[in-house]
Amino acid sequence: MTSRGGNSIQVSRRSMLKGAGLGVAAAASGPLMYQACKSDGLNKTGAYDIYVMDDNWVPEFAAGRIVQSLDKLGLKANPDILSKGLDQGYWPPKAGARLKAFANDTPELFALVIIDDCNLLYYDKRQFSSPPKTWDDIYSAMKAKAKPPKLYGWSARGVKGNPVVQTYLPLLNSYGGNFCNDDWSPGFAGPEGVGALERLMSFLPYMSPSTPEFDTDQETALLLQGKCMALTEYTGTAVTEIDNPADSKVVSQIDITNCPSQVKPGPAIGTFICGISSGTKNAEGAVKFLEWFTSSRIQLQFAQEGGSAAVTKSALTDPKAVAKYRWLPAIAQSVQSSTPKPRTPDEPRFEDILGTQLNIALVDALQQKRNYTQIAQKSLNTAKTQMAAVLQQHKNIYF
Amino acid sequence: MATATAPARASGPGRPPDRGRRNRLDRALPYLLLLPAAVVLGLVSLYPIWAGAHASLTTYLYGRPIAGAGLQNYTDTWHDPVFWQAMWVTLKFVVLAVVIETVLGLALAMLVARDMRGARFIRLSILAPMTVAPVVVGVIWRLIYESQTGFVNPLFSSLGLGAPNVLSHQGSAFYGLVFVDVWEWTPLLFLVCLAGLQSMPQEPLEAAAVDGAKPVRLFFNHTLPLLLPVLAVGVVLRLIDAVGTFDQIFVLTGGGPGTATQLISIYAYNTAFNFTDYGHGAAMLIALLAFALLLVIVALTLMRGAARRVSR
Repeated sequence: MTSRGGNSIQVSRRSMLKGAGLGVAAAASGPLMYQACKSDGLNKTGAYDIYVMDDNWVPEFAAGRIVQSLDKLGLKANPDILSKGLDQGYWPPKAGARLKAFANDTPELFALVIIDDCNLLYYDKRQFSSPPKTWDDIYSAMKAKAKPPKLYGWSARGVKGNPVVQTYLPLLNSYGGNFCNDDWSPGFAGPEGVGALERLMSFLPYMSPSTPEFDTDQETALLLQGKCMALTEYTGTAVTEIDNPADSKVVSQIDITNCPSQVKPGPAIGTFICGISSGTKNAEGAVKFLEWFTSSRIQLQFAQEGGSAAVTKSALTDPKAVAKYRWLPAIAQSVQSSTPKPRTPDEPRFEDILGTQLNIALVDALQQKRNYTQIAQKSLNTAKTQMAAVLQQHKNIYF
Repeated sequence: MATATAPARASGPGRPPDRGRRNRLDRALPYLLLLPAAVVLGLVSLYPIWAGAHASLTTYLYGRPIAGAGLQNYTDTWHDPVFWQAMWVTLKFVVLAVVIETVLGLALAMLVARDMRGARFIRLSILAPMTVAPVVVGVIWRLIYESQTGFVNPLFSSLGLGAPNVLSHQGSAFYGLVFVDVWEWTPLLFLVCLAGLQSMPQEPLEAAAVDGAKPVRLFFNHTLPLLLPVLAVGVVLRLIDAVGTFDQIFVLTGGGPGTATQLISIYAYNTAFNFTDYGHGAAMLIALLAFALLLVIVALTLMRGAARRVSR
């Protein structure tokens, strides 16, 4: 999933609009849409009924009542929706650290997931004898077969901020670290976080030296050109690119599975999620629309017609849909084993802090080609210190 | 002057009765004509500055102003190490880019100011980069620098220099951005210098040449002092513009790798709109405004000093 500065949301708006005769939920690309929705909700202009949001908007939009409580509006969430995806719409969060003002509140549903986006492992099946289960499996395979620059062992988003954090989180989570602990303290600078970053650095000799400037397009281009053995990415790459001959030279050669484990599976989740604006004049219609769009019948259609990241278990495991789109079960598995990012309006800032230091670490490791432990420890400690300073600066909302 | 105009203002017998009113109208007319422009300027320029200053003194929570912050946002900015890092990067970027642009612009103007074959075509060619929107410049150079598909890596490799991966290293990314800025904005300084050179009185130069002054001496003792007032305007304009550079960097590097190209404009934008800390972001932008004014004062002082030294 993207940050507030990320890509536009790819949603089948045609099918959405067909459902309830409502106006457009929201349109435009990430940062513009974020500002437009926020301004609309704060001022209760009623220009939009529904916001199609990135899930990291939920803390701010729910805490600031920019969106309304769906529970209070009487929305009945489909029990077929995968629980980890549904949880992304609750405020305060059901698990993990909470802001002080909401510490004792009962979680309410403020937004409803419409696309279950999460990290998946994409691998070229010609290079692996079996689906890799752990990060060590990946390393062993690349050590044996990678021949850069003809065949890289791994490809990753390395740009500072959200992209490199999305590369690191599946490793961090699977090594047993946390972006944020339950008391808000940074949980990435301990041995788990350092170990996870060292593992990523151990891939560097088998990766493109341009990795620090890679975002999704450059990262996936290597895979789609058959020049890379594996990578982690969100679901969009599977849905729109890997089997599209216009994009891919390796049609049908890429398999998709859950992110590798180490001590546990670690995919990050970042759903697209809908909230009903505080100023809507048609809350009832908006509720009906969301219930309709997330119904098992429509989600099945969603999965069967485009292989999209549906939000219901029945759609993601439907035999007909799975036969056509092999990645659907992996999405279900990844969502249910995923770890959310910190649930706070400051999450983009934390992501920027960690992402800047991770990017510096990659640059340094590529230049020095050794001292990975020291580089990892130094960059993660710096990020920890900076994040602690932000927490201290905003201590009245955290502690 | 007072005695000359006083009788004309006085009304008396035989004078049309509305003469005084017409005079008042004549005096007010220029101000009335200026009023629409002043109102527009106030709306589009002064109001945002006032609103920014107000935001910098406000605390926001979840996008809403909740209380006055006093100088807290400025205190936070002052104690923010990333702010000072960004300020240092901004200073390096501005000084390096503007100095190179000034020297190059002046050199090109000197070259093209003479009547030579194809001068008009060369002048137009030099101006071309300036006409491209900065965000488009960013996209173009992103494609040029891009390590997989751009042409910088293959070019260097074919020369046996190795692929530089410009945007992957902190140093090369910074100098790569300076290069882009120089490419885009040298034409402005070129244009200013060319205008200055073409409107310059030729007699002192001819006299000095007749007296046997060598070209270098002619340049430093005569051309440059005469050009300095015009050059100062160009440099000040560029300084103000360079301090606020945003588009190209946002598109090309987003401030990375690390914080190597994170100018204050990028950091303040992220703080205000990505981290939704409007008060802190506004305080940074007010600081940026002060920084730009400071740079302009320093530049003007240096140039005036240089002019005085040269004229001696």
